[in-house]
Amino acid sequence: MKTKSNGKDFCMFALPGMFCFFAVLVIPFIYGVYLTLTDWNGVAKVKNFIGLKNFSGVVKDAQFWTSLLLTFKYVIVVVLLVNIIAFAVAYLLTRGIKGQNFFRAGFFTPNLIGGIVLGYIWQFVFSRVFVNIGEATGWSLFEVSWLSDPSKAFAALVLVSVWQLSGYMILIYVAGFMGLNEDVMEAASIDGATGWIKMTKIVLPLMMSSITICLFLTLSRAFMVYDVNLSLTGGAPYGTTEMAAMHVYEKAFTSRQFGVGQAEALILFIVVAIISGTQVYFTKKQEVEA
Amino acid sequence: MRKKVLTKVMASGLAATMMVTTMTGCTFGFASDPDDPNEVVEEEPIDTSVDTFEYDTALSGTNITLLNSKAEIQVALEAMSQSYEEKSGVHVEVMPVTDGDSPYTKVVSLYNSGNPPTLSILDTTDVIALAEEKAADLSEEPWTAEAEDYLTYVNDKVYSFPLCIEGRGLIYNKAVIEEALGEAFDPESIQTLDDFKALLDKLVAGGIEKPISLAKEDWSLGAHHLQYIYETYDGTSEGAAEVINKIKDGSLDLSSYERMKEFMDAFDVLKEYNVAKGDPLGADYDEMAIDLADGKTALWFNGNWAWPNLQEAGAENDDEYGFLPYFLNNDKDDFANQMIQGSPSKQVMLDGQFASEQEQKAAKQFLNWIVYSEIGQQMLVKKANIIPPFKNNPYEPADPLSRDIYNRVQEEKAFNASAIVPNDHWSVLGAAMQKYLAGRSDREELVQSIEDYWAEQE
Repeated sequence: MKTKSNGKDFCMFALPGMFCFFAVLVIPFIYGVYLTLTDWNGVAKVKNFIGLKNFSGVVKDAQFWTSLLLTFKYVIVVVLLVNIIAFAVAYLLTRGIKGQNFFRAGFFTPNLIGGIVLGYIWQFVFSRVFVNIGEATGWSLFEVSWLSDPSKAFAALVLVSVWQLSGYMILIYVAGFMGLNEDVMEAASIDGATGWIKMTKIVLPLMMSSITICLFLTLSRAFMVYDVNLSLTGGAPYGTTEMAAMHVYEKAFTSRQFGVGQAEALILFIVVAIISGTQVYFTKKQEVEA
Repeated sequence: MRKKVLTKVMASGLAATMMVTTMTGCTFGFASDPDDPNEVVEEEPIDTSVDTFEYDTALSGTNITLLNSKAEIQVALEAMSQSYEEKSGVHVEVMPVTDGDSPYTKVVSLYNSGNPPTLSILDTTDVIALAEEKAADLSEEPWTAEAEDYLTYVNDKVYSFPLCIEGRGLIYNKAVIEEALGEAFDPESIQTLDDFKALLDKLVAGGIEKPISLAKEDWSLGAHHLQYIYETYDGTSEGAAEVINKIKDGSLDLSSYERMKEFMDAFDVLKEYNVAKGDPLGADYDEMAIDLADGKTALWFNGNWAWPNLQEAGAENDDEYGFLPYFLNNDKDDFANQMIQGSPSKQVMLDGQFASEQEQKAAKQFLNWIVYSEIGQQMLVKKANIIPPFKNNPYEPADPLSRDIYNRVQEEKAFNASAIVPNDHWSVLGAAMQKYLAGRSDREELVQSIEDYWAEQE
């Protein structure tokens, strides 16, 4: 009797979800893994099994490793900056300052603009507005477009990503701060805890669940960055700002090496999965209940 | 309280999203085709009174699809399909490839979903990649006789219909040059690289400080500039293929290949007089058309597809613009210094895998209609503003750039070599060229990157 109704419940509630999950995620993923073992070029009728040849192609693709290394650099800088800035801003915006609702909305807005549009807007800012400022003031920092110098173009990418991502994280941190139990804070004050002690001993541990989710979101989004990369620099100057995701796309569709591109995508997936999995595991351990 | 805050945030967020989506609804495109297909251009009337084309009545009622990857002719193609339907009863649905989508990716995904377009407008490399697997053989079609020099063969068979000729070179603005020189300018008087340098120096003396606009885009540098080293081998596509094979198998040493050296000499001259010399990789494509039309510069390396940009910048159909060749050396008899390159750039491929016989026939008739019917001929040139590769088409394009190419083709002052290179050639070697343009690599490094690139190809 019991098992029967369980089966029925399962069919009613879980099956539709499971079906979608399998149809759009699990099966394509497995199929994708299978494609890395074939020589399919996207067009041919036959797919020949070629073993791990695509992966040896990945090893030989120096540009992929360069772009992966660059992605690591980018991820580290972006994750740190976004979370520090978002945490600090969220802290300020929950102190009851004047117009804080307006500021919250304002900081969140960049996140609502799609990455492609954002990239074009900032491209205009970097290559026209800044250059004009440079011409007018003679500041050497703005004399030439940031986007034509490899390290400045990288800085530009980081700047725009931080500007875009912070808003979202601010929202999560704000929710976290508002969920802090006033009683605990008051008790801490009565016990004589001041600013810094309160922050490290009470606020941070209680905010750990927000930090877990924010770190996870920024990590995965920074690793998979494509839209801003494409529209802001497009890999320019001369391919020096091409991140891993963009390189994968270029490999598969511009160079038309589907197998190698797919294998690179798989490697990127594994890297991201391991890193964000580890992060979630360790930050979860730090979470406490008030 | 908390709920209220959230509602407020969400409300302002929603408002902002809506605003952004309405704003982005207008114009966002890529630099390579900034044309607005909705733009109203004054149109030449199409004379439909004469039509000697014979329509196959059995095909009436057939539906076929055409995938268009040339955004600027979308409106023209729709008009053509409508005229064709009125006459033949065959409906041609014109589907645009959206901005930013690569036509090849689009076609491949349509094939994989089992619903490919009957006809698709593709680049030559795409056709070669797909031909034997997917395309119908068009070798026996009557129009092949009219476009002899412009056919693309894959193992001795024709799988594609050359839609247009596009040419490239150094676009000059005659009025600007004459004003700076203070005398009449005859483009034919410039015959060698030294002549060209002398002209540039005179322009500088005449007040145009940096007379050349040089696009930093990788498709311009990697495809349009660099491919001269293959295409000027002997001016034919076969020659280009031969030199590529020689580079691939190592029998031709690029560092001692004369054309490579000449190309870099020529490119250095362009680099030297580049208006964006201070920050060549910060050059803005859209500004180049404005600079040329306004006379800030006198020359722009580009092709006849740049006309819509120039027109937007204020150039008129009766202004005098034209092309100078890409001068490679000081030999007056070298064809590279006399001719500009013009080759069929877009090809129409007919699906041979999914399309029924009836659909294939209707599509073939459409292609023949473009070539042979008086209406199709007119519309190709006047509506789509295309330089037709077909000898029997008596109409001349209206804009000065296309007209210049058209006249050069007629006078045999154009060479039609088009190098068939792997699809990532423009992007990989475009990056190498950007590095060279920015002065961050030297000649040896550039040559080395080209050799490395070819060594990696199978």
